Amino acid sequence: MDIFRLLKTLVKKKDKMPNLNIDSVKDRTFDAIVIGSGISGGWAAKEFTEKGLKTLLLERGRDVKHIVDYPTTNLYPYEFTHRGEIPLKIQNENPIVNRCYAFHEDAMHFFVKDNEHPYVQEKPFDWIRGYQVGGKSLLWARQTQRWSDYDFEGPARDGFAVDWPIRYQDIAPWYSYVEKFAGISGHADGLKELPDGEFLPAYPLNAVEDYFKGVMKKKYNGTRHVISARCAHLSKPNAIHMEQGRVQCQNRTLCQRGCPFGGYFSSNASTIPWAQKTGNLTLRPHSVVHSILYDESKGKAIGVKVIDTQKKEEIEFYAKVIFVNAAAFNSNLILLNSKSNRFPNGLGNDSGLLGKYVAFHNYSARISAEYDGLKEFKTDGRNPAGGGYIPRFRNVFKQETDFLRGYAAGFSAYRGSDSDMSATGLELKEQLLNPKLGPWRVGSHMMGETIPKAASTLTLDENQKDEWGIPLLKINIDYDDNDVKMKADYIEQLTEMFTEAGFTNIKPNTASQAPGLDIHEMGGVRMGKDPKTSLLNKWNQLHHCPNVFVTDGACMTSTSTQNPSLTYMAFSARAVDYAVKELRKNNL
Amino acid sequence: MKRRTAIKQFLIIAGGIAILPACSNDAKKASIALQYLNIDADQEMLLAELVEAIIPKGDSKGAKDLNLHLFVLKMIDDCHPEEEQKKFMEGLKEMDVLSQKRYNTIFVSTAPEEKQELLHAIQSEDQDTAKVAEFYRLTKRRTIQGFMNSKYVMTDLKKYELVPGRYNGYFPVTKDLS
Repeated sequence: MDIFRLLKTLVKKKDKMPNLNIDSVKDRTFDAIVIGSGISGGWAAKEFTEKGLKTLLLERGRDVKHIVDYPTTNLYPYEFTHRGEIPLKIQNENPIVNRCYAFHEDAMHFFVKDNEHPYVQEKPFDWIRGYQVGGKSLLWARQTQRWSDYDFEGPARDGFAVDWPIRYQDIAPWYSYVEKFAGISGHADGLKELPDGEFLPAYPLNAVEDYFKGVMKKKYNGTRHVISARCAHLSKPNAIHMEQGRVQCQNRTLCQRGCPFGGYFSSNASTIPWAQKTGNLTLRPHSVVHSILYDESKGKAIGVKVIDTQKKEEIEFYAKVIFVNAAAFNSNLILLNSKSNRFPNGLGNDSGLLGKYVAFHNYSARISAEYDGLKEFKTDGRNPAGGGYIPRFRNVFKQETDFLRGYAAGFSAYRGSDSDMSATGLELKEQLLNPKLGPWRVGSHMMGETIPKAASTLTLDENQKDEWGIPLLKINIDYDDNDVKMKADYIEQLTEMFTEAGFTNIKPNTASQAPGLDIHEMGGVRMGKDPKTSLLNKWNQLHHCPNVFVTDGACMTSTSTQNPSLTYMAFSARAVDYAVKELRKNNL
Repeated sequence: MKRRTAIKQFLIIAGGIAILPACSNDAKKASIALQYLNIDADQEMLLAELVEAIIPKGDSKGAKDLNLHLFVLKMIDDCHPEEEQKKFMEGLKEMDVLSQKRYNTIFVSTAPEEKQELLHAIQSEDQDTAKVAEFYRLTKRRTIQGFMNSKYVMTDLKKYELVPGRYNGYFPVTKDLS
């Protein structure tokens, strides 16, 4: 850089530059800043850059380039030293992340280890995180269902939290918008409680899943449905997907390793490279956001304070608009830590509700069984959708149980081989190499709505800080009586449904798990109509700091039962569209 | 590339994976590097004979050909708690005692039929085999795992498909010869 220009800049901007960095303020000024490159941040970055805004995408972890940085993606089972198992030493050092279903030798490098970012559990909470470019979009279970008005109207109808400031019609076009680009496979089932989307062909149910669907339809007069799980896989890619460099899903079901085909949607395979193609994206890994900078004289946020984790130094970046997509709890953490004279309790927190009313999905029950019929069939190949999905059937159209809301459920059937391993020698070898087909096995897990409560909180620890000087997050959240009743109902109903289908050896599994393992933590920065009882308005914009938007799980007023990522994508695209229009009207 | 090739030659292939060899050239030591288990060459040989008795060579390769005894050691060393490692070592030491008692010779010198007989005795929990039960259970489990997930079985005997490219939920069983 020209030394005279640098000096001139330094003199001119000195008062605004607490950290004298070699970059000029101008070089650190963008039109938009997006904090977090996971599923919602990737969408925000794509939308901003496509609309011509110079965008800085901040990621606290390392870079993960599509394909290049998927080291295990093409490994055969025998190429893993421990055949997929995590060595005991690592398990013992990481009791939290070790409880995650996907934490195995093939994908352990995409998970945050327990000691990397500690937090305080006022009550047990397993916080599962992915700190890298793409975040947890590399690891997600890829299930995608739309919300309906039976979900958005839940809090108002049942008297909890606050009313959502939007309804289905507000977000429906944005569901369509993101579905077309991401690629969602599913069947148009015509259900009011689970609206259809812009679907690629569904992955069909298998023989036993189909059979169960039929039995349920008959037994419950069309009120309990078993549908093909809707998922973010390219069953049959369109031109828009090919343009992203993605091709048809190859049914590997090794998704957590990162997919070399781009067969499933991730920020890495889709939105980030798309944003990069516009020439408007600056992707900055190793950038932990400390706080959002608020300028009292301007009455708005002016940028963010970042800690460069490699250079171990603070650096500020500036923009007209800031999107917070750090993943639900970390978005809360950033806002809570963004203190100023105007906002001593966290950015936009006049209501005092920041960090409150957090919730999650109740995944604490499962049930399995066997089916003796349909032995003329088995499955061949693998189903990336995972099988079937049972949309919520409890309390949908009216309140009918002694608990509020309800649960959706996964349902899948699989026929594996039963090897008799009791023999030894050549007899054992023969059995192993020529296993007999076992019976069909079926399984289901609950995905229950939980009620956000004032007592469920995220706060900052006053004494303990992480290695970047940021206070540790204190998590205080637990199951309640409603969750207990709902769980019992799930077991009771599924047992009845399985019995009705003639399944045998029905085994409920109610071994509880701490909240968090669902990886669907939500809320704390909820949307609402009234600034006194909510943080964000209907455009995901902070009521009291309008150039800051939150479009990840933190914005959720209630949780409903759907897997939430698709809704975050839709919120992100919708909010960027609004923000850019407001910017052009000089309203931000 | 040359460096890679050189490194490869120093690695021991067990069931398809590479394991670092032991640093020492002491002939009395085990041939692979272990963190917790202290295994000597005789014990390694015993384990090789045991895994071979569990899954012997026949028309196809057996456990010893696939170095599954080393796979077992690697897994016990890395993936089992201390108390299981202890039981594993105790059982390993007890094997020859048991063999001496029954056949007047060490395990590796017993006849193939005697080995099978002994394995059955252990599995049926004969009284005098109690001390090796846990060791045997762990060894058998890891041997089967190593065999089924070995490169040899997964490529030559039962094809593992990394990229199936298909799903059929109504695949007729009659067509299936596996």
